[in-house]
Amino acid sequence: MSNHTTTQAEFQDKPMWSGGRSPFDVSYGKLMMWIFLLSDAFTFSCLLVQYGAQRFSNVITPITSNWPNPASIFNHFPFLHGLHLPLLFVSVMTFILILSSVTMVLAVEAGHRNSKKEVEKFMIYTILGGFAFLGCQAWEWYTFIHEGARLYGNTFGITEQGYAHMNSLSFGDHFEWKNGDRTVGPVPFAALFFIVTGFHGFHVFSGVVINVIIYIMTVRGVFERRGHYEMIEKTGLYWHFVDLVWVFVFTFFYLI
Amino acid sequence: MEFYNKPGDFDAINYVPHTESQGTKELWKTFFILFGITIFDFIIYFVMPANGFRNFIFIFFGLVKAYYIVGAFMHLKHEKINLALIILVPTLFIMGLILGLLYEGSMLEVMKSL
Repeated sequence: MSNHTTTQAEFQDKPMWSGGRSPFDVSYGKLMMWIFLLSDAFTFSCLLVQYGAQRFSNVITPITSNWPNPASIFNHFPFLHGLHLPLLFVSVMTFILILSSVTMVLAVEAGHRNSKKEVEKFMIYTILGGFAFLGCQAWEWYTFIHEGARLYGNTFGITEQGYAHMNSLSFGDHFEWKNGDRTVGPVPFAALFFIVTGFHGFHVFSGVVINVIIYIMTVRGVFERRGHYEMIEKTGLYWHFVDLVWVFVFTFFYLI
Repeated sequence: MEFYNKPGDFDAINYVPHTESQGTKELWKTFFILFGITIFDFIIYFVMPANGFRNFIFIFFGLVKAYYIVGAFMHLKHEKINLALIILVPTLFIMGLILGLLYEGSMLEVMKSL
């Protein structure tokens, strides 16, 4: 091999599909991150499709099925005991995740301008958002387990009387389960809740760890010496993917 | 350090395309769209009775949110069409899997009642 180095002009003049350059016009690392995210999308699809199949084998009418109504379970909010507040807490979690996605993308934008100070600032915000989301999820799991849900069992099956009780409540009412409202319900409900949100939470956790590593590398000036902040873009892709998965978890577990 | 490209040193493995900042306008617009849709979902959840149409609305707006996250935040809208296609086309097969297995699931319920 000669020591000849290809110049930028030579490189960019190469025909797109004749080899020697990426037909996608992205760096090798970024392309591999996309391929990884595609495989991860299949992983989460498997879990959500299984949830869908279980849901469809347990529904149709509330009378024939005791599949619980998510509004009757995830209706708590920290420091507001005994109130019926369905969807509020998960909406706050969704908001936190969207917000941390925005700060991540602002860090990427600051990286394009090679502004080390701004990258550091926005990475800190993103990491804080990740921790806030994990804290919310821990509280949600704690409440759910405290009320009797387990990976291998579900005490949240809802009876006909329970449905009537639930439908009589409006947002913010005082709420307590009455005797006869609940029965043993389908196990896949609790099992898949723990598996899917747990798997998503694990992704958030690893995303936070990666963000911390990237933050430390930024502070130590690794990317400044390298001349570009592309690593921020790659971790950003992963972080947005976690947000994307949450959109579907939120839709299928809480809204529907 | 020698693994990363320096000015005047380009090859296929080390190649990192130079990217210019596109400004933050589109990002904030996307944020407000995502935020607005989440608020809209929250309102629809309480004002509409639970039925198939409401579920359709939730799934539709979920896909809209996915479009904005992948397109604007993950920047796929501005990448080469080649890259966008190898990412997006395989996910179409997931849609087929979903439709197939939801139907199988509903048949399971019929089987149980026999």
